[in-house]
Amino acid sequence: MASGREFRFGIMCSHAASATDFREKARQAEALGYSTLFVPDHFVDHPLAPMPAMAAAAAVTDTLRVGSLVLGNDYKHPVVLAREAATLDLLSDGRLELGLGAGWMTADYEKAGLDLDRAGVRIDRLEESVKIVKGLMGDEPYTFHGAHYTVTDLDGEPKPVQQPHPPFIIGGGAPKILGLAAREAAIVGVNANLRGGVAISDDAARSMTGPATDQKMAWLREAAGARFDDLEIQSFVGFTTFTDDRRQLAEMMAGSFGVTPEEALETPVVLAGTLEEMIDDLYARRERWGMSYVVVGVDVIEQFAPAVAKLAGT
Amino acid sequence: MAHDRKFRFAVQTGGATSAREWVEKARKMEALGYSTLYMPDHFIDTPFAPMVGVAMAAEATDTLRVGTLVLGNDYKHPAVVAKEFATIDVLSDGRVEAGLGAGWMKSDYDALGFEYDSPGTRIERLGEALAILKGAWGDGPFSLDGQQYTVRDYDGIPKPAQKPHPPILVGGGGPRLLRLAGREADIVGINPNLRAGEISRDAVHDSVAGMTKQKIEWVREGAGDRFDDLELQIRYFMASITDDRRALAEALAPGFGLEPDVALESGMALVGTVDECCDQLARRRAEWGASYVVVGDDQYEAFAPVVARLAGT
Repeated sequence: MASGREFRFGIMCSHAASATDFREKARQAEALGYSTLFVPDHFVDHPLAPMPAMAAAAAVTDTLRVGSLVLGNDYKHPVVLAREAATLDLLSDGRLELGLGAGWMTADYEKAGLDLDRAGVRIDRLEESVKIVKGLMGDEPYTFHGAHYTVTDLDGEPKPVQQPHPPFIIGGGAPKILGLAAREAAIVGVNANLRGGVAISDDAARSMTGPATDQKMAWLREAAGARFDDLEIQSFVGFTTFTDDRRQLAEMMAGSFGVTPEEALETPVVLAGTLEEMIDDLYARRERWGMSYVVVGVDVIEQFAPAVAKLAGT
Repeated sequence: MAHDRKFRFAVQTGGATSAREWVEKARKMEALGYSTLYMPDHFIDTPFAPMVGVAMAAEATDTLRVGTLVLGNDYKHPAVVAKEFATIDVLSDGRVEAGLGAGWMKSDYDALGFEYDSPGTRIERLGEALAILKGAWGDGPFSLDGQQYTVRDYDGIPKPAQKPHPPILVGGGGPRLLRLAGREADIVGINPNLRAGEISRDAVHDSVAGMTKQKIEWVREGAGDRFDDLELQIRYFMASITDDRRALAEALAPGFGLEPDVALESGMALVGTVDECCDQLARRRAEWGASYVVVGDDQYEAFAPVVARLAGT
């Protein structure tokens, strides 16, 4: 069962006040027992570019894993991506987790002047990319003729340290993307459905209620079949708030997102309450959904650390 | 005047076989007095992806500058490139040199399954990409409605540590590209013309001394008044410390279809004893203004005495 997995934790870090600040954050994450430092990939609001930031974090730490959560597939050609990912895996001595998504944030596409194709096309392209990246990391020259990319007899360089390839993280909130994750990923992010093109909306919030998450897990389980037990289920907790009165907070959040207070507390994108309440929620979510890999924002790196100390590796 | 510039030296390196070797290599370059570690950008026969290698090298060193020689513009969208360079510049406390070229190696385009457009199209795209880099690195949102790229109200993040932006290095060998470099870059690489899409006799013949002077004239035409602000760079592909430069030239020159004397004076060759190489570099700075010297990573240890003598002078 996926739910039998040990807990591990990641930090999402999209910005740094300075080079020194970033290095300290990476070292702190390692010292506090976080498994992984993640960097997102957007052209707005998230300043750090993922590849160089992951490289820098790996360079100043020894055991911390580094990951992308997630790279927008449309922003880089998969041959470029494969080469960068393999270089990073090699130079970090095998500490990369390669998160790759179909791309969803409308602003990214608008700013850079990229065509925002419909979701089905973007997911098809992502699937081809995943195959290409894996193919180029293999031992033999690789050829791929897809609807979106063509690679001919290319022997990818360098080869990654992790064999056959670094773990892929694929996340999403709808059947097609979860189906792809079930087939190709080692780590599956169970996320909101972001078809609206923005991170925070009533639609996205409604898609992450407890029952909606049950539905996503059912899609994932069905698509994964026998592979399901091999998957590590990840949840990114975008809203982590420490409070002695979580009921009051839940009522405020409920008003903002068009859900009930109970739904606000139940959704896996929220952790609200005392540390003890959060720990109880994490156990419950692992039991219900198999979510053992929990990512929180860098703003709570210290406050959340006691939960990491208690749960990581258990 | 460009030729009053102080010498500085760089190494172009494609990578290493391990993380440890890479870190040690970067530190050694720093210790030997090299200014800059540059990485090329190819998909065949080059071990590392440059942006990742460069970011790692910066973390492993304190003062070494890091850059690309050069990124193939077509391989990544300029909004991505701008963001990555700016991130490395912030994380290295301002040590980035952002090198870009129009893309030339046919095998790269084959690897990516990309069209190998005409040089004019590739150079037009590079020109627009440079505008996007500068726009993304500058204050406030900018837009570009180009022939090749469209960028709308993009306020690039992060902003680089170096102001107004990291030095932009553009290298090339033909008139259109060198005029563009003169107009837009801070550092101009005077390279062989690689119109053949591979390193060929054509490229070597294009590097003879007379052609190098001609190329610098093209840079000057593009630069106008800003010519004196430019740093001129040469990557010496045929670089060797030897007691017998004549013998080496005679051994190598026929392979390139050149007379030995012509080969030795070409803009690709830096061959001789330490004294001879220093003299040659001094002459080239006086004559061409080329003060920024790049060697390959098979030669940087051998050239350390040259660096020790000339860097910063």
